[in-house]
Amino acid sequence: MKTVLITGATSGIGLEVAKECVKNGYRVIGIGRSIEKNNTAINLLKETSEFSEIKYYNADLLEVEAVKSVAKEIACFIEAECNGQLYGLINNAGCVRSWFQTNSSGYEHQFALNHLASVMLTHQLLPYLIKGAGRIIMTSSKSHKLMKIHWKDIMFEKGYRPLMVYKQSKLCNLLFAYVINDRYISQGIKAYAVDPGLVNTRIGLKNTKGLVNKVWNIRRKLGVSPSIPAKTYIWILNQKDHPNSLYYFQSAPRKHSKEVNKNNSDRLLYLSEKLLNIKFGGKL
Amino acid sequence: MNVLITGASGGLGRAFVNECVKREDTVIATDINQHGLVGIQQGVEHRFGKQIYTYPCDITSPASMNSFMNYLLEKSLKVDMLLNVAGLDYEGSFMKRDFCETNNIIQLNILGTLRMTYEILSTRDKTKPFYIINVSSLAAEQPIPLKATYAASKRFLLDFSYALAEEMKREKVHVLALCPGGLATKDSVIKAIKAQGFFGKITTCHMETMVHRTINQALKGKRKYIPGFFNKFTTFFGKFLPIPLITKILYKRWFFAQSTWLDQ
Repeated sequence: MKTVLITGATSGIGLEVAKECVKNGYRVIGIGRSIEKNNTAINLLKETSEFSEIKYYNADLLEVEAVKSVAKEIACFIEAECNGQLYGLINNAGCVRSWFQTNSSGYEHQFALNHLASVMLTHQLLPYLIKGAGRIIMTSSKSHKLMKIHWKDIMFEKGYRPLMVYKQSKLCNLLFAYVINDRYISQGIKAYAVDPGLVNTRIGLKNTKGLVNKVWNIRRKLGVSPSIPAKTYIWILNQKDHPNSLYYFQSAPRKHSKEVNKNNSDRLLYLSEKLLNIKFGGKL
Repeated sequence: MNVLITGASGGLGRAFVNECVKREDTVIATDINQHGLVGIQQGVEHRFGKQIYTYPCDITSPASMNSFMNYLLEKSLKVDMLLNVAGLDYEGSFMKRDFCETNNIIQLNILGTLRMTYEILSTRDKTKPFYIINVSSLAAEQPIPLKATYAASKRFLLDFSYALAEEMKREKVHVLALCPGGLATKDSVIKAIKAQGFFGKITTCHMETMVHRTINQALKGKRKYIPGFFNKFTTFFGKFLPIPLITKILYKRWFFAQSTWLDQ
């Protein structure tokens, strides 16, 4: 039984992907922020299939240390129960903020959760992914287009622009997938970014104010159910060989922004390594 | 410049730490939360490649303050700027709160701040100019029913800052009172801001730019800084209204807001 780890797996896209994974016979490890919601998700998933193997971990991925310690727990579990192999890592957890907020390291929330948490988690679990010839999937978004990385002030401390920060974090997801492929493809793993399209989820309603909140509330009603993008994730996981492209929309390759290149991805990885005090290996 | 920041592992404290590190100041950070201090220390180290001094201290306890002062002495650190950020608030009417909580507000917001100010001022380098920033609040500008103790404690800091600034201006000590509206530092505050609706939105300050301007204002020798146009505007015109009327308006506003978010 192959194992898939999903972050943000208690609602929205993450939960739907978890359902699809259970249906397709994967063992699911989920990470969620509240024990209550984790339990609800587990019960829901158990209804999907009786032969399911499900394990949920409780962690607030906003905090660097929390990511590290949950990764350690999961590593133990993978070693003990999954032959040390991880087949899928779905870096899906994300947030939207209206205000400049920081985690306990002083890093801005959207950057910390949408980007840094996935870098840290991937770094900690890389050996298991390599052993499992695994696939990493990032939840990115079309909104990364027309956006450049704000190198001078990556956390937008000189005037916070919520939407820009969100778009930048989604560009970061693509850049990270790019750099993983660049360095680790020879070791048999591959990273992807999925554009879920406009989806009816609550991401824009949590911890946001007035305009962001209202616009999101109207916009999300035009969105599709999260079960539609979940099909793309499962399609990528189910392919026998690693699919070739980097960026997918509705199970088909899509063109990404020209900002997604070697130069930017190396620079972003270097910066992220510094912020997280970690070091990626791989072919340079 | 050596900057001492209290309450450094809270949202506003962290923003001040980052701002001062960017200004290339030497930062000494204290907080009662040791775990949080480690977090911000590591964040600064990884992000800017700089070290900050941290020392956990409960500024409401004289013994803890003593060991902190010894620490400064040991490291021979002379403070040039003191940021009194540590403070707390409990929402809700006076009689519905445990008295312990009311006591905590006074102990920390008032006594703790005064104790720290006194200790640091008495050990300062008297040949150099000295700056103090006291984090007061927009709530200091008028009595606020349902936040009575908090607002009054912040009023204390505002008045104290003004008076101290005058008292010590000949000794090159500059005191600034910062009076921000809401600051989106944690989930509970965000709930509160949301519950206030329009007023919450318009009085909320942009923390990331505010900290930068606050230090600029202090260095210029200003005595009070109210961030945000709307906040300046209401503060100014609020002075022309009779206090009973203001308290009546504010009571309605807070009663409505608190009933939506405290009952959730």
